Formats: sequence, C-alpha cells, structure tokens
Amino acid sequence: MPSQPPLPPLLTPYASSLPPSSLTVLSSVLGATGNWLVLRFLYAALTTSSVSDAALGLSETSHGKKRKVVLVSFLRGWDFWRTEAKRLGLDLARLTDKQEFAFVDGLSELFSAPSTASTQAPIHQSSLRGAVPPRTVLPLRSQPGPVPARGPQPAPRPVAAAPNPPASKEIGPVKRLRLSGNGPAALDALEKDIAAVINGVRTPTPGDGQEDPEVLLVLDQPDLLLAATGPSKGIGATEMGDWVMGLQQYAHATVLTVSADSPLIHNASTFAHQPSTPLETEHAAFAIGTAHRAHMVMQLRNLETGAARDVSGVLRVSKGGAWGQNDSTEGDSHWEEKEVLYFVQRDGGVSVFGRGE
Amino acid sequence: MSFRKRNIGLSAGFDRNGAVNPSAQPQQAPATPESTPGVRPSPDDGRPTTSTGTPSLDNLLAGHGGLPIGKILLVEENGTTDFAGALLRYYAAEGVVQDQKIHVVGMPEQWGRSLPGLIGPADAVDEKQDKRKGDRMKIAWRYERLGEFGAGIAGSRASVPSGDQSQSATDASVDKRPAFCHAFDLTKRLTHPSITNLNYIPLAPSNEPLLVTIQKRLQAAIASSPPNTVHRIVIPSLLNPTIYPPETSQPDHLLPFLHSLRALMSAPGARITAMITLPLSLFPRSTGLVRWMEILSDGVIELCPFPHSSDALATSGAATSHEEPPQGMLKVHRLPVLHERGGGSDQNIGLDWAFTLSRKRFEIKPFSLPPDEGDKEGQEAAVTGGMPKKADLEF
Repeated sequence: MPSQPPLPPLLTPYASSLPPSSLTVLSSVLGATGNWLVLRFLYAALTTSSVSDAALGLSETSHGKKRKVVLVSFLRGWDFWRTEAKRLGLDLARLTDKQEFAFVDGLSELFSAPSTASTQAPIHQSSLRGAVPPRTVLPLRSQPGPVPARGPQPAPRPVAAAPNPPASKEIGPVKRLRLSGNGPAALDALEKDIAAVINGVRTPTPGDGQEDPEVLLVLDQPDLLLAATGPSKGIGATEMGDWVMGLQQYAHATVLTVSADSPLIHNASTFAHQPSTPLETEHAAFAIGTAHRAHMVMQLRNLETGAARDVSGVLRVSKGGAWGQNDSTEGDSHWEEKEVLYFVQRDGGVSVFGRGE
Repeated sequence: MSFRKRNIGLSAGFDRNGAVNPSAQPQQAPATPESTPGVRPSPDDGRPTTSTGTPSLDNLLAGHGGLPIGKILLVEENGTTDFAGALLRYYAAEGVVQDQKIHVVGMPEQWGRSLPGLIGPADAVDEKQDKRKGDRMKIAWRYERLGEFGAGIAGSRASVPSGDQSQSATDASVDKRPAFCHAFDLTKRLTHPSITNLNYIPLAPSNEPLLVTIQKRLQAAIASSPPNTVHRIVIPSLLNPTIYPPETSQPDHLLPFLHSLRALMSAPGARITAMITLPLSLFPRSTGLVRWMEILSDGVIELCPFPHSSDALATSGAATSHEEPPQGMLKVHRLPVLHERGGGSDQNIGLDWAFTLSRKRFEIKPFSLPPDEGDKEGQEAAVTGGMPKKADLEF
C-alpha cells in the first residue's frame, strides 16, 4: 500500500536512534513473530546512507554518520531477508556490495557435520574458498540490478574452489556459521566469525571519506543456540549472556530477538504445575537476563481477545533493566513506554496504531 | 514480482550456475511451472506451492492454495486417534501421483503400500456433488481455478446453515492443465507406477545419533536426485516412543535435526516440502521442547478429535441432517509465510475449524454450534414464561 510509509511514524523514535553500546531486545511469540520489526530496524539504519530512497519522513539525518548493519540470523536464510527487505525498498544485495550490510547465515550449516573445510578462518575469501559451494553466491548473482562491479564476476565463479579467488569485495559478507565443539569454546569460535564480519564491514572503503561508521548488530534468535545445545553441551544461559555481551563490544548498538512464549518463560517458575526441563529454565534465564541488560524491550504478542482480521498483534515498548545507565540523555529522553497495536498487511506494509484508533 | 519468484524455482540446477548469465534466466522462467506437475504459483505472491493432497487444507494455508515449497508443516494431534496420519497419507499419495520424490522417515514399506487409492482430480470429484454450482453466474473465471482464494472458506461460512454443498468447490475448468490436487479413497490402495519410488529411511541404530543419521540420509538422497525434482519429506509420529528411542526427544538431538531440516529445505535450488506429525498427548504443547519445534516449523496445526462420549454433541454439530458431523476441532497456530512476515491479515484467521474424515476426503470447515436442540425446558420457559414474570424482577 503506497500510503503506508516503510517505517511507521509511531515506531520512528524507537527504531531510529539507538544509543551507543546499547542492547535492544525484541521478544516474540509463536503467532506474533518479530521479523517485520527487525526489518524496520534495518530500514531505519540503512536508509540514511542509501541514496535511492528519497521522500522519507525520517528526521534522523542530523548526525551524518554512516550506519552499517550486520545481520546474524539463526532461523531464516538469506532469501527470506532479501525478498522481504525488497518489499520495503531495501536492496540488501546492493547494500552488501557497497559494504553497508553484511549477512551472517546461521541457518544453512550451523549443525552440519564438520567437513574438511575450515570455517574458523576469519577472512571472507578463505572461508568462501573452502566451505561455500557456488550456490551460496547465487542469490547475489541473480540480482538484475546495475551493479558496477558486474564485469569481473564470471571469472571467480567457475573457479570457486581454486586457491586464489580475486578479492572481490561483494562475495564476502555471506558468511556461514558452524557450531563445532562443546561449551564456551564453540561459542567463542562463532563470536570470532561474527566479529570478523563486523570488522570487515567497519573497515572504511577507500572511496568514501567516512570515518568510523556505526555498526548495528542484529542477532536474530540466538536463543536457538541455547535451546539446541543446552547444559549437556556446556552452553547455558550464563555462557550465552557472556557471548552476547562479547559481541556487543564490536558493535555500536545491538538488537537481539528472542522467543518469549509462555512455556519457555513461565514453566521455569516455581509456581508452575509441572517440573521444568533444563531447556525451559535456561531459556527463561537467558531471556530475562538479556531483558535486564537491555536499554529497551519491545515485546510482541498476540491479541488477548483472540485473533482479529485487522490486527496482527500487540507491541509493547518498555524500558529495559539498563535504561538510563549511560548518561547520554539525548538518546533516552525522546521516547516513552507505550503499548500499541500493529497490523502487517499482505504486501508487507505495517501500520502501527493505538488502541481504538 | 512474480518474475523473481519463479526465478528461484528455476535456479535449481547447480550445474547451470557457471553458464547462465542473469539476463537469460527470466526468459526461461515462464516455462518452468508447466514442466513440473503439481507445482503452481501461489495466487498470493507467486511463490511455488504444491498440494497437500487435501483440498480444504490447501485452502487453509493463508491464501497460497497449497503448501509453499520449502516449508515445514507440523500437524499435532491430541489423543490416540490417527487423523493426522490420514492427512499424512493424503500428502504422500498426492506426491506419488504427481511423480514427486517421497522420503518416508521411520516407517516400514508397509506404510507406503497402504496409501489411499486414487479417485481422480479433486476438482472432478467435487463437481459431481456440486450440482447447484452451474446455476451460478461465473465471475472472474481465472481466479476460480485457484481454489477458494478470495472467497476463502470463510466466505462460504454463511452458506453452511443453508446446507449448501459448494463448500470446497473448485471449478473443473482445469481439464487442459494437469490437476493440482487429487481425491483419494482411504479404503482402497494406491496403485501407481511411481509408488515403488518411495524412499524409506529406517531408524536403524548406528554409532551416530539417530537423528543425525536420518538427516544425512535425507541430504544424500536429495543431493543424488536430479535437479528440479520436487521432494516431500514425510515424518509420521515424530518422537513416538514406539518408533523413536528415548534420547531423540532430548532438545540437543531433536532441535538440531529440525534446524538442519530447515536449512536443507531453504537451500537455494531445493524444492522440498515436509509434513511432520507429533502426538501431543505424549509431548504437550505446554512444554518448551514442543514450543521450539513449533517455532522451527513454518506451519503448525493442531487436531483435537472429539472424545466418543460427546458423540451427541458431534451429531448435533452438523448444521443440517445430511451433512457429516464434525469429528474434531482443528486449531491453526501458525501458517506458512504469513506468520513469518508478521501474521495477521488472513481472512481465515480467528475462525473455529472442525474437521471431518470420511472415506473419500478429509474436510476442514468452519465450526459452529447449532442451536441447542436438547434444551427443551429452557426454550419453553423462554417462550411461555419469559415475559410475564414481572414480579420476579421487582425485588
């Protein structure tokens, strides 16, 4: 719907200015997923620097710093994010080429059996050389956009297994994570991989004269790591919390999505009717722990009164446990806690409105 | 828009990557849907979908008219009945008829031999029952072949009390093109040349964790089949302790398996759908493990069969005497694609669904309780003594 701005005005103050070294937690439930909200964060961060999206009602160009985004997704692949972002007018493939965006794929090979390829290599080229079959880059290639560096591409593609692919900058950022080993060591390896991607994006490209861009790190459902490993593999809520905190150091601001379904949060309580499993206790500890460390918590949930045809769910924005800890009051002062309804249309547009509006 | 979608389906051939330049792909794209029977673009956004073998389930799936390729449907069932198994058999049988490659996990070959027999295209079967259909003026014929998209099942809700049978009617104007969905008879056995093509993945103990073995065998089977093959992964009664060893229900076994399955299906070029059933009585929805299974699936529906003691209710649940009484309730917790985007906006959302399994079909329709016929005293009291009791009101 053309009348719908990509970033609903009610959300702008929340999505557009994240204070430095802050953590924002988006919690979702089964019937009210948060992908649309993640996309709004991407949009708010990336459109300030992309030239093609004119006519935005955003006022955040005041600080002319370049923003870059690294998206780490554990549940959804590149195709999903690319097509959904396109509905918002964000061409992630092109932004990847321009090194303003990087996607880290935590879905494709996270639990696949270790092969001979080295996934620990911090440099993109070497990881591409060994681990990534040609199909990895296919989504990028099939973009019909007028990408300037289209010319030299066919050369590296047939020889993707060759030892020395040319350092083409646009192949880099689709990095695939793989969990290997046990306990904190496995997490450390993942952290190293993600940090390498962040640093790769942060490194200023020679062409533009920007200094030290702000990197927004988006972690999409890292709680999967916790659920799928568990204490028996030496990864618990504490280790996950440390891991997230370690990643926060590399980024300007961090957005983290986590599942907050009732069985995952409330079963761990001592008042629950059934004994809780380690999965439930660890998940609750992780979700609550991150909420306490967060600057802002955005909760998505279903409508209590049942499903409606013109409401997708309820969004509640509240201050997290770490709100107001850093003294930069300008970042904190211009938003307030709020509960609104939202509706995701078929075309991907989102309208956000108060109750009764 | 639709160009890009079809392009995805086309890029199945890994071997082509080297040769095809991007501009050549869109030219070939329109040829693909015809070349693969059983796959059609979704009327909603053009992504390829395939039929579940149950027309009314296809229509429930958020306007896509089928299960989108690359999506996992989790069917949960309460109690000891096996309605979900029937859905699964329809799903597998539909795949056999469409010459798709079926991978059955954890079931002996006997399971494949008991697939329901083919009656014919689902449209034609519906047409016979649907005599009144011809009287109606035809509007927008090109949408009609897309099942109930637009009208939805919800649209026909009003017609249920009047006994209109046009419930799941789709037009038979599709004679020229191959049928998308077929009707099957549960009392017969499917005989089809490609039924021997089923790939059974037994649960054989090995030195690896069981689910890792399954995942590897699935991956190998899919990788070794020719590109452009459409696969269906059938996992009946996952975690059922009579089939699966106890350690598979540990989160660190099960969730990586489902995650890898998701990864396998979302790989570029893969054309896979999967249907999993889960016995809820053993693994209730209130546990964190099952919730994670649901989060990892794209679509989640729950079947709640009526217990036998409520047969009376079930009988009266039929709006008219010549309609099948519903056998249970169906709850939709998550729909493919729709909820991934954020939910909402589907016109079928928020309705109560009932299902009926008969010999020839599994039908899902809106559930509505009829007026309580048994409550005679209450009704008479309301008619005769409703108003005059003014004295009672003045206290």
